[in-house]
Amino acid sequence: MEEAAEETTEAAAEALPVESKEVTDRGFEQLYRDHLRDVYSYAYYRVSDHHDAEDLTEQTFLQAYRHYPRARRESDGRSLRPWLIRIAHNLASNFYRDRSRRPQTPLDSIEPPAARHTTESIVEGRAELRAVIAGIEELPEERREALIMRFALGMDNREIARAMGKSDGATKVLLHRAIKQLRERLDADEHG
Amino acid sequence: MSMDEIRLEDLLADVFQPVEPPERVSERLSRRFASISDAAATDLTGWADELNDSELESLRDPRNWVRPVVAVTAGGVATGAMVVFELRRRGRRRRSRLDQTIGGLRSRTGL
Repeated sequence: MEEAAEETTEAAAEALPVESKEVTDRGFEQLYRDHLRDVYSYAYYRVSDHHDAEDLTEQTFLQAYRHYPRARRESDGRSLRPWLIRIAHNLASNFYRDRSRRPQTPLDSIEPPAARHTTESIVEGRAELRAVIAGIEELPEERREALIMRFALGMDNREIARAMGKSDGATKVLLHRAIKQLRERLDADEHG
Repeated sequence: MSMDEIRLEDLLADVFQPVEPPERVSERLSRRFASISDAAATDLTGWADELNDSELESLRDPRNWVRPVVAVTAGGVATGAMVVFELRRRGRRRRSRLDQTIGGLRSRTGL
């Protein structure tokens, strides 16, 4: 059923007129300007290294450019950001597979931001943030990824669902479980 | 949503602050797009130069489309356009035949 619907959408998209190169390039340029920071942020939080994040960002846009006209035809006016992040997500997965490793020092260079209040609250705030960072490192990759999309990129559930290839419902559950796991971890720290 | 949850979400927003890409990311991308386009256009130009009329004729057979498809795919949309542009410089007779072939290729392959 779902397959048939997909085929229908695909056929409809194929039937749409092909845009001129100029329109396509202008559209891609806009997409690039709008989402370079999103792709880079996502890449950085996935691979935890600026150099690798640059490579991943470059590969994402090269691949996106190759498939952009079709993606645009099939987008039906919806934002292409989830599609872009999905490309980055797939490339990041390959990145780990190729190198047979996961990040050795995830979130290693993330320092809690400078607080703006009293010395006491600065110390407390930084400790709290460090506990959150430690908790994030323990999350399964999928949960952590959903959190990156929500908080670093500000994506809503529907966008995250499209980027991760999940249903809206499954995405809501995924985010809920990620937050719950973090909450429990922080509670355990507090009472342990 | 409880206060704890709100507080945790605030902390997550602090941890996952968006990261500004360095300027060199854009520079690298521009260079990559340019080099890919150049390479594919050079490949197609060399290939078109080698063709004689009978080979051009044979391009009407889809079984002979592997090389142009690879070149067009390598460069993506812009390169495809550059390739067609290069081929258009090859004289009127050749141009019309090759354009038809490339046009057919592009419409069949969706490139």
